[in-house]
Amino acid sequence: MKKLLLLFCLSLSAISYGQLKADDVKSFTLDNGMKFLVVEDFSIPNANMYLFYKVGSRNEGQGTTGISHFFEHMMFNGAKKYGPKEFDKVMEFNGGANNAYTTQDVTVYTNWFPASSAEVMFDLEGDRISSLSIDPKMVESERGVVISERSTGLENSPWRNIIQSVNATAFQEHPYHWPVIGYLDDMKNWKQEDLEHYFKTYYAPNNCVVVISGAMKFDEVKQLAEKYLGSIPAQEAPPKIHIKEPKQTGERRVTVQKDVATPYLVIGYHTPEAKHKDYYALSILSSVLSSGQSSRLYSSLVDEKQLATMVFASHAESFDPNLFNFYAAASADASVGEIEKAIYEELDKIKKDGITERELQKIKNQKLMEFYGQIETINGKSNNLGTYELFFGDYKKMFEAPKNYNKVTVEDVKRVANTYFRKSNRTVGVLKSNVDD
Amino acid sequence: MIKSMKNLNRTFLVFALVILSFGSVTAQNYTLPDYDRFQLKNGLTIYLMEQHDVPLISVSAILPAGAIYDGEQSGLAQLTASALKHGTENYDKSKIDETLDFIGASVNAYASKEYAALSSRFAAKDTETVMDIVKELLRKPVFNAEEFEKEKKRVLTQLERNKESPRSVIGDYFDKQLFGDHVYANSLSGTITSVEKLTVTDLKAFYTSHYQPNNMAISVVGDFKTAEMKRMLTSLFSDWKKGNSEPKNLASQAISAPSEGTVLLVNKDDARETTYYIGGPGVPRNNKDIVALRVINTLFGGRFTSMLNEELRTNSGLTYGARSRFVNYKNGGSFYVSTFTAKETTEEALDLTMEVIQRLHEKGIDQDMLTSAKNYVKGQFPPRYETSGQLSNLLTEMFWYDFDESFINDFESAVDGLTLEKANQIIATYFPKDNFQIVMVGKASEIKTLAEKYGPVTQTDIK
Repeated sequence: MKKLLLLFCLSLSAISYGQLKADDVKSFTLDNGMKFLVVEDFSIPNANMYLFYKVGSRNEGQGTTGISHFFEHMMFNGAKKYGPKEFDKVMEFNGGANNAYTTQDVTVYTNWFPASSAEVMFDLEGDRISSLSIDPKMVESERGVVISERSTGLENSPWRNIIQSVNATAFQEHPYHWPVIGYLDDMKNWKQEDLEHYFKTYYAPNNCVVVISGAMKFDEVKQLAEKYLGSIPAQEAPPKIHIKEPKQTGERRVTVQKDVATPYLVIGYHTPEAKHKDYYALSILSSVLSSGQSSRLYSSLVDEKQLATMVFASHAESFDPNLFNFYAAASADASVGEIEKAIYEELDKIKKDGITERELQKIKNQKLMEFYGQIETINGKSNNLGTYELFFGDYKKMFEAPKNYNKVTVEDVKRVANTYFRKSNRTVGVLKSNVDD
Repeated sequence: MIKSMKNLNRTFLVFALVILSFGSVTAQNYTLPDYDRFQLKNGLTIYLMEQHDVPLISVSAILPAGAIYDGEQSGLAQLTASALKHGTENYDKSKIDETLDFIGASVNAYASKEYAALSSRFAAKDTETVMDIVKELLRKPVFNAEEFEKEKKRVLTQLERNKESPRSVIGDYFDKQLFGDHVYANSLSGTITSVEKLTVTDLKAFYTSHYQPNNMAISVVGDFKTAEMKRMLTSLFSDWKKGNSEPKNLASQAISAPSEGTVLLVNKDDARETTYYIGGPGVPRNNKDIVALRVINTLFGGRFTSMLNEELRTNSGLTYGARSRFVNYKNGGSFYVSTFTAKETTEEALDLTMEVIQRLHEKGIDQDMLTSAKNYVKGQFPPRYETSGQLSNLLTEMFWYDFDESFINDFESAVDGLTLEKANQIIATYFPKDNFQIVMVGKASEIKTLAEKYGPVTQTDIK
């Protein structure tokens, strides 16, 4: 799960420090359309490179589900200059480490390295983006790896299981319907030509934003970018996702059997994409409900009524309208029905009476602390800037967020609660042992 | 948001404790920023380090109140630590929660195998408010019975739930298997039977005998002035009465090395995969070769291209990840390889794991591998000490394991000084090569026969 990134309190006085400002972020775009954001930061002799590709499971179709994530793995399995296994070996030999992740919307590659090794990192990236080789033998062993990844996720957490079912139920047409990891039968069936087509379509420099923070000068970054990435040809823009999920017109429910000690509950309400005007109010609403032990859901369900051992809300940024989710794990002697009812009661209170000014202020204070945490490290800087650039359309939105959050009133929070927390707009998922009662 | 990634997470690639390594790749020696260390008359040790990059302050506290002191009351240390937040003489639980939440501050209290700890993070402007709560939690907890019963109920449910996740329970089984009667076998979370019996009276007794200033350290790192912080801490903690007993060093008893390989088979009926640890005795944190061990473990099982991950993941696709680690305590430790694989490939994966271990011993490592591992641990070092929270944690670890900044400041030369000959000696000396203790969590009916290949099997049900 990706941690929700909410940065907005820049306008508050405390942040006038030596903090990151919009002007500290420098940007350039190569002729092939690859955009770079650069933050010079010499506090440690390290730097990072975050490559955000605008492709995720949302760009897949039935039959090739999971291919975005699989492709993320294949990007480490050999190209023209650096063959199979060489990417990681060369990077680690030069003191660098990496990881990558795939979501419904994006695929992100993260490199962390001593700044003195920066040129090697550009060379490695340039090689795989320009001339990845998709070796059938590597495809087969990597297939085993992702199947194991899927299996171990399901083995160790009931959440993954029930979340998949809720998504599949809430989204009947839009590609958020299937899991990022893919269907097992599709995972066994990806073909060489699927992979080649995928690479050509989505791994184009013009479909990528690169963020670099750390002990590197802007001019050095630009020069290395031109040298190693500048000659990669641009591609036609990938096809737009034309499917819009039709409005949900009635509550949907789904039950999943698994041997568990107590039931797990997930409730999802359709909410808009990150660029929508209601994003900030929804984000505050999510925090009021479940951030900290004084939050409404924790204090009511876990502390006072002791119905659940944990409860939380999540509202994340996304390209297309997605779900505002509630998660709860039941106490030993509580029924799912009681928990569900208690959550609705808390939502109804907000729909009827709104939240207090003090709650609003509390959340604003919390967001400020979150912000500090995010810009405390060079990795936080790169991750946030990239996230804003992709999901909100412009990294500068990160610096405008304070204004946007400060505009939110208690009335706005009440309004969005009434707009989206409607019975007909929700999907309820229950995972439990005995499903025949 | 749903996310699948190349590796479980970044920590997949790192060591058991902090990575203490840094960059001759960069030719920029990392040195620990200046700090002050002093002791109050009651024996409380305090570390202060100013860091003014962001207007934040991080606090860490450490004291000998971990699971090794549980005795028969397994889970006691952990529950005592978490109950500190259930209310104090001057703050009830909801006041603590509301005060901290309103200013976006965090205060966490928890126990580990050997020690209990508190960590806090807050905005510099809120120092007074939060430090007063920190003081109350450490000095004036009341162990409210009603709050404890609620917590106990949640913990019992969570213990019940742990059997849904092999990854959550396998560590406890392994420690029990390896450490036997030694206190390092103690489980942090306890068992359903042991936790059910605990009361606030037990917590109070544990608190009284283990939470004493004379064996404790507090570190504060961040945006403050040392003189002012020193005054504040002195006024908050100097009238805390010194305890009258030194804690017994329960962990000092010898850890007996296993004389034969054994297999514990933990049955999980609905398992789709087999999760396993293979390991043996490790070393204490203050071992003179600790730096060298970390470099070598990096290339054996501590990073993506490690010998283990390359064979079990990259070359064969048997698993999503395989790793090894040394866990270092004050008086001993453990070493283990951990991974998981589909039920059907259990034997293949186990055989391959054994083969890689054997290869390490028989063939050793070569110069290229060693150079790469050295570069890697050095290159990945500086981000380990980037934030005030990381630094305050480091300072309390220095207190706990009795090392000082020379360990940090000399780390690069220690890494560079590791020769190939020495590296291969270290493998022979410290990496277990026989009498492996193996724990397998999986569907017993399908893997029991093959498990017997690796030693006498004891079977139990997951709990």
